[in-house]
Amino acid sequence: MNFYERPVSELRPGDHAWLAYTNNEEQATIVGDFVYDGLRTQEKVVYVTDSRPHELPGMLSRFGIDPTPFAEVGQLRLITLEQSCLTRGRFDPDRLLTTLDREVDVAFDQGFRAVRLTADLSWALRQPGGADLMLGCEHRFDAAVGASTMALAICQLDRGQCSPEELAALRDKHEVLVEVNPEFDDGVLKITRTFRPLGLRLEGELDGVRHAVFADTLTNIVPRAQKIHLDFKRLDFIDLGALNLLATWAMRMPGGYGLVLDNLPPDVADVIDMLGWHRFPGLSRGQGEQQ
Amino acid sequence: MNHEVLPYRATRDFLSGALPFLRAGVRGGETVLAATGPGNLSLLRDGLGGDAAGVDFVEATEFYQHPARTLAKCVKAADELARRGQRLRLLGEPIWCERSPLEVAEWQRAEAIVNIAFAGTGASILCPYDLTLPLPILDGARRTHPRTVFGANGGYVDPWSYLSAFDHRPLPPAPESAESLRVDMADLFWLRAFVAEYGRGAGLGDTQIQGLLMSVTEVATNALRHGTPPVVLRLWTEPGDLICEVNDGGQWSPQPGVGSVPPETGAPGRFGLWAVRLLCSIVQVRTGSAGTTIRMRLPAAVV
Repeated sequence: MNFYERPVSELRPGDHAWLAYTNNEEQATIVGDFVYDGLRTQEKVVYVTDSRPHELPGMLSRFGIDPTPFAEVGQLRLITLEQSCLTRGRFDPDRLLTTLDREVDVAFDQGFRAVRLTADLSWALRQPGGADLMLGCEHRFDAAVGASTMALAICQLDRGQCSPEELAALRDKHEVLVEVNPEFDDGVLKITRTFRPLGLRLEGELDGVRHAVFADTLTNIVPRAQKIHLDFKRLDFIDLGALNLLATWAMRMPGGYGLVLDNLPPDVADVIDMLGWHRFPGLSRGQGEQQ
Repeated sequence: MNHEVLPYRATRDFLSGALPFLRAGVRGGETVLAATGPGNLSLLRDGLGGDAAGVDFVEATEFYQHPARTLAKCVKAADELARRGQRLRLLGEPIWCERSPLEVAEWQRAEAIVNIAFAGTGASILCPYDLTLPLPILDGARRTHPRTVFGANGGYVDPWSYLSAFDHRPLPPAPESAESLRVDMADLFWLRAFVAEYGRGAGLGDTQIQGLLMSVTEVATNALRHGTPPVVLRLWTEPGDLICEVNDGGQWSPQPGVGSVPPETGAPGRFGLWAVRLLCSIVQVRTGSAGTTIRMRLPAAVV
């Protein structure tokens, strides 16, 4: 199946999106925005989980809120696994589909214009036959959400819990891969966090008028005490000042760490070669693209 | 450092200067490089006999491709050797024939810059000059080498003064037909779109365009920040070249030969004009009552 990446804020009714998160922070960033946006815009949020409202990813860490009051008035509905998708302790996809159908109907009757559904089913994969069960039900789930004019969904999976084959097979069942909202996007430059590897993706053009916002993003988002990757795959232009800015930033990282430039477009790589990598201590060439 | 000229007419003269120079390096355990034409290279190989194994021979056409890049590479090598307590020894005979007057001027500037850029590296550089070369080239050699193989050179001129004289030669004006664009916004996105399109039309490759965009952005950003409006960009072609020039009304007084010398490495920092010189083939900086002009040239496939 062809798939495309979409920032979480751009999900629309009918989207059945997939999130294979790398760590709790990525989950909190994406799922947190998904839930919070729904609550903020008077949409219904249905979350299949055994957690309590304040334990939902990102609520406290990102927004500093306890969403319990939204649960009390029925805008946020948490359904336990037992109530939604287990039959005698085993994952039961039919029951999950029935539950979600019912929840969409209830939301419609309550007058909500949209309903956001999400579940982290990593646990189900680890049950005997779990992966096959899940693969077998994805197309029905896709059809159910895709046909809806008010439902949008994120299927969450913990990457660490799946084999590469399971990940690839499950990804193929989803048309939309959800990703974090960009940290910055002014139509010329877009900066997006990446979690695997840890760093930022830069798209468009980075020059003098955007140095300040770029430096702020680096400082606020990216920890210094790790190797940081910058994905340049869709970077069309970087100016000398930005390369110097990166080198200056990298020099302040603790010993041994630095900034890795991944997926350098061949023309950008050539230009840095001409200037000499030794002019930019702390920067190194990563994987992908170039010649 | 030592930068000597070896004027020669006959093969005998060439070898009697070059062979002892190279041998001393090989026997002293130095890193020895010889860059000259194919004829002289084979004379050197034969003449050196067993010592030839200690010399890295490079064709001049390969070595002398681009003044700033050649300088950058050699200075980096000499610096690295110096840090390890070693020395670079280079016999370098630049190519003078088949060069345009502009290219000749750039290589002559490079000869003067050698005296500044290699200072402190302990490098030893010997430059053979064929005495049948045109007089202005021989005159340049006389002014840019502190010594000849025979001893001190009375014709030597302080390199900064030499560069300054070069950088005060007036530029021919941009042609009437040049594309002209007033640069008045800090956001150079549209300027780059315009330049890239022009560059593609002139047959530049992707890497050249990327280098031109980085150069134009650097120069225009400086003009907007430190110059005086109006800042005007002009683009035109001449046979074999694309020319891009940025002019502002400010009377900047840079040191002579600004951005001509490779800056020290080891710490990041602004090295804007030097970078522009690496990315373009020829860069001319002129400043005076008509404002400040930076003229950048790149070889273009189509004119």
